[in-house]
Amino acid sequence: MTKKVKVTGLCKSFGDLEVLKGIDVEINEGEVVCLIGPSGSGKSTFLRCLNRLEDSTSGTVEVDGAEISDRSIDINKVRENIGMVFQQFNLFAHKTVKGNVMFAPVELKKMTKAEAEKKAMELLRRVGLEDKADSYPHQLSGGQQQRVAIARALAMNPDIMLFDEPTSALDPEMVGEVLQVMRELAAEGMTMVVVTHEMGFARDVADRVIFMSDGYIVEEGSPKQIFTAPKMQRTKDFLSRMLND
Amino acid sequence: MEFITVFKEATPLLLKGLGVTISVSLISIAIGMVIGLITCFMGRSKNIILKGISAVYVWCVRGTPMIVQALVVFFGIPFITGVRIESFYAGIITLSLNAGAYMSEIFRGGIQSVSIGQIEAARSLGLSQFRTMLKIVLPQAFKMSIPSFVNQFIITVKDSSILSIIGLAELVNMGEVYIGATYIYFPVYITIAAYYLAVISVLMVVSKFVEKKLSYDKKS
Repeated sequence: MTKKVKVTGLCKSFGDLEVLKGIDVEINEGEVVCLIGPSGSGKSTFLRCLNRLEDSTSGTVEVDGAEISDRSIDINKVRENIGMVFQQFNLFAHKTVKGNVMFAPVELKKMTKAEAEKKAMELLRRVGLEDKADSYPHQLSGGQQQRVAIARALAMNPDIMLFDEPTSALDPEMVGEVLQVMRELAAEGMTMVVVTHEMGFARDVADRVIFMSDGYIVEEGSPKQIFTAPKMQRTKDFLSRMLND
Repeated sequence: MEFITVFKEATPLLLKGLGVTISVSLISIAIGMVIGLITCFMGRSKNIILKGISAVYVWCVRGTPMIVQALVVFFGIPFITGVRIESFYAGIITLSLNAGAYMSEIFRGGIQSVSIGQIEAARSLGLSQFRTMLKIVLPQAFKMSIPSFVNQFIITVKDSSILSIIGLAELVNMGEVYIGATYIYFPVYITIAAYYLAVISVLMVVSKFVEKKLSYDKKS
């Protein structure tokens, strides 16, 4: 199997604060990996190092064969193949839903305007928001905005998708619609790295679950193993807190 | 009626002055916007010298009255270069430097109002920092800043009257020329006031229209 992500000895500090203390991870093509762990454990920072929204302090990050941590590479080129979905959706407020989805492919000359529009409508249909194509982001609910954000990321035909707590800012009744889109994406074979607090999603969809705490990977394994027979005490503590809530 | 006679007699002179007021203001607003944008980016740059220049410039303009600025430009340029400067050009230099400083602050506020999340989203899609600024940040910053810009335009038009101190033949100055010849004060000043009101009202109507046209917040 092809390796999509290869992270070795990744460390990241913000000033004196060490957030990642040596992370080693490999992710295969088509694999769905869920990162779980308490707040402040470094999950999001790790994810953001995968497309260099955060610069790593040391260690190497390889995505899609490109050495992300190398300062001399054209990071913009690499990012074209790495889709990202944010907790706060981050849709472009001055563009319509369709405009948001079309924007990057046209801007980066991946498609003509007509192609991008066709693709945008296809993607919006896929996330169930065809009828909202001409609305502006602020007219949509959080769940709808997040589905548009997923469509926007998919418009670039990425090889890998990063999700940074995609449902954490949503009202409970909207979580399902976003997770559904992600489930479908996973079923289609997309390589996905998902930082999440949705244990149900991790259990059902992930091929592998990674539990992080205090900047380390404490434990990783199949969802079944992590959720039913965690080896480490910290994992047990975390899960019992999460599952009893 | 004295008013009507004055109005008739003074109109050609005042219209001439009004023309100068409008042209000096419009030119200065246009130049001021460019200066403002450049100053704003200098202030945001990592280069300490550029940052310093922008800060000192804004500080000086904000910290001195425009009448003094006009005098410094009008008398300072000949003093330093030995070349006399026409009040029209000195007026434009003063007014655009003045407006530019305030507009750089308006731009700064507008740019800061665009969420960092949108910038990260654009970068994550593969856009360069420059294109993100151009396509995502600036369009929103501009829209956000329109009310403040209009406010600055109005101030600039009104402040152009200060340039009468350096002999610019704008509206107030032309009124004074007429008064000098006739010793009629009040009707002339009232007429001048009406002219300013008219110009600024037009500006306000146009800006409301533009604001409405560009808004994506209120449409549904």
